[in-house]
Amino acid sequence: MSNEPVGVLVIGAGASGAAFAWSIAGAGMSVLCLDQGPWMKQRDYPSNGLDWEERGLGEFATSPNVRGLPADYPVNEQDSDISPLMFNAVGGSTILWAAHFPRLTPKDFRMKSDDGVGADWPIDYQTLEPYFALNDRMMGVSGLSGDPAYPYHEPPLPPLPLGKSGNTLAAGFEKLGWHWWPSDSAILSREYEGREACINLGPCLTGCAQGAKASTDITYWPVAQRKGVKVRSGCRVREITVREDGMADGVLYYDEEGQLQEQKAEIVVLACNGIGTPRLLLNSKSQQHPDGLANSSGLVGKNLMFHPYAMITGIFEEPLHGRRGPVGCSFWSHEFYQTDRSRGFVRGYSFEAIRGLGPAQTALQGMVQGFIPWGEDHHRAFARLYDHTATLLGITEDLPEDTNTVTLDPELKDSHGIPAPKVTYRLSENSRKMLAHAVERATEVLTAAGAVETVAEPLMRGAGWHLMGTARMGRDPKASVVNERGQAHDVKNLFIVDGSVFVTAGGVNPTSTIQAFALYVADSIKKNIETLFDDA
Amino acid sequence: MTEPPAALNDPRFMKALLDLVIPPSAPGDLPGAGALGLSAAVVTAIQADPALGPLVEAGTQAVQESALSQHPEGLAGMAPQAGVKVVEAQLAAHPFLIMGILRYLYPAYYQHPQVLEGIGEPPRPPFPEGFDVEATDAELLEKLRARRKV
Ligand SMILES: Cc1cc2nc3c(=O)[nH]c(=O)nc-3n(C[C@H](O)[C@H](O)[C@H](O)COP(=O)(O)OP(=O)(O)OC[C@H]3O[C@@H](n4cnc5c(N)ncnc54)[C@H](O)[C@@H]3O)c2cc1C
Repeated sequence: MSNEPVGVLVIGAGASGAAFAWSIAGAGMSVLCLDQGPWMKQRDYPSNGLDWEERGLGEFATSPNVRGLPADYPVNEQDSDISPLMFNAVGGSTILWAAHFPRLTPKDFRMKSDDGVGADWPIDYQTLEPYFALNDRMMGVSGLSGDPAYPYHEPPLPPLPLGKSGNTLAAGFEKLGWHWWPSDSAILSREYEGREACINLGPCLTGCAQGAKASTDITYWPVAQRKGVKVRSGCRVREITVREDGMADGVLYYDEEGQLQEQKAEIVVLACNGIGTPRLLLNSKSQQHPDGLANSSGLVGKNLMFHPYAMITGIFEEPLHGRRGPVGCSFWSHEFYQTDRSRGFVRGYSFEAIRGLGPAQTALQGMVQGFIPWGEDHHRAFARLYDHTATLLGITEDLPEDTNTVTLDPELKDSHGIPAPKVTYRLSENSRKMLAHAVERATEVLTAAGAVETVAEPLMRGAGWHLMGTARMGRDPKASVVNERGQAHDVKNLFIVDGSVFVTAGGVNPTSTIQAFALYVADSIKKNIETLFDDA
Repeated sequence: MTEPPAALNDPRFMKALLDLVIPPSAPGDLPGAGALGLSAAVVTAIQADPALGPLVEAGTQAVQESALSQHPEGLAGMAPQAGVKVVEAQLAAHPFLIMGILRYLYPAYYQHPQVLEGIGEPPRPPFPEGFDVEATDAELLEKLRARRKV
């Protein structure tokens, strides 16, 4: 393996790293990406076998602590109300994601001005708009144009079918006159760019054997590689190294054989997600940066946001065929998205309609909820639930709080002996009230849709899918880690392009916005390359 | 008299226990979990689980001992209703016994072709055939389009 110095070194090959690397390629700089995980193969995904649900609970579980694969690092989550979830491979967490693809709304970027809480972003929706559109084309997004909750945009592909479960739930929203709209989904409703259309396998959350779901290993990476970007899988970065003047000059990493290697680079780009990125910065202490890299503000690892989730399930008399079709992509609702202080909380949440679960998951969830007993009554109770449920997820806006953190665990280490992250996260009173509101409203709409019974999990512990805020962007170096172009205030040749830079979280899934931002940063580097380090 | 094998390693006991946890359905279209021969795989998975494994092991041991004190053949020789009572009597002391078993038994049971057919699913993996899904209700879409004009 050659460790020739490169122009741009991207760490992390997930949603943001892939988009960034693809965009920066061809700008005259050599580009290398290191990821600690392997390349995945569609033929190895669980939906190829009858044991798809069993494997989804083990080697394809969404928690790295459950999987414990060689590519994973442990996360101490003992002091967190929510478990952080991710996947470590080329493609990152998009290997397992549901591909529900809303954008942040224009108002989400100016929360302090509008609602007096949190902070405003230093960029706005309009700045990201062309990058949202470009990213939609690269990922292959299906959706219906014209949602009144958003500025007009046209997804490149027609929407996915709602199926019986979606139709049933949407009818409930119609009945109450509430906003709903078929989701933008990063899943192909038609053949697109050499990829096949979705055939409704169901278990998107264990990888898509059909390749219809947009994970970046099959969207951005093949094109980026054709443009000359090199990807080295199985390489875990231990720390970012610095020159005497404090600028980044490369990384130390462990290669696939576990050998420590040194890679020099002119520009270092972090795309390790909202937990991996602060972990790496905090692990990169030096004489020049004694509190960790890019941390003169003390904000690296602070303001962790997850989106607390409530799950509300309706039981219906009719079969809903919900186990078929992309589990997390049906429709969304922004009925309760904007601040209405009469509700007793600030900001709001969206609903995401979920299809059904497979049989084993139905039985396990039914057991936990007390609906499905063991013994004689098992089959009757199972038959009442299986294929007869539809679910709404309430995705609530998490306000940034500096007590919610990613720090380095003093004892826990990964397989290379690198200090592991510790997550400290407590649900705020505002979030608690919002979750309770979501449960009440979801119960109302599920009943309107015909549910004969509902059951709610007011705070899902295993729902830390969205990792944001731990290296926030802003104009003031004392109050932020990176500027509006993702450039670290303290280290001008260090950029961050993942969800760590989020100033606030909005109440929708973040990846469309994360990737749009990564494309925007790449573009701004290309445009400003001559003056990039001027005030360094 | 020889000691009985440890409960988890006693195939007759485990078959009987799994048949109590998921018995055959009344109409007979769904088999009991023990009769499907799932014990070996389920026991291997339970024993590999550092958290649940020891709890299930202790619970099954207690059930086996109690059953043997009531019937020379233990659980395997008892009528289902009597067997259920023996298990239930141990749940206060071993609250994770059933949950621990079901964590591994449900996935094993509900991937078995015979069970899939019994619950109306095709006995095949999702890929490569996939499934059909109903189209979006045209009337609902019309309403959305009307709303868009507003
Ligand atoms: C089960 C699940 C479902 C989800 N569903 C949705 C959804 O429907 N919609 C949505 O918008 N979002 C969803 N998400 C979230 C979404 O996947 C993430 O927002 C997105 O992938 C984040 O992109 P990223 O580039 O920041 O990080 P990731 O995609 O997580 O990629 C980070 C990469 O960095 C690598 N890395 C980390 N540390 C190191 C190191 N030290 N050295 C080398 N490599 C390193 C990792 O191996 C990984 O590949 C879901 C997530 C999960 C887990």
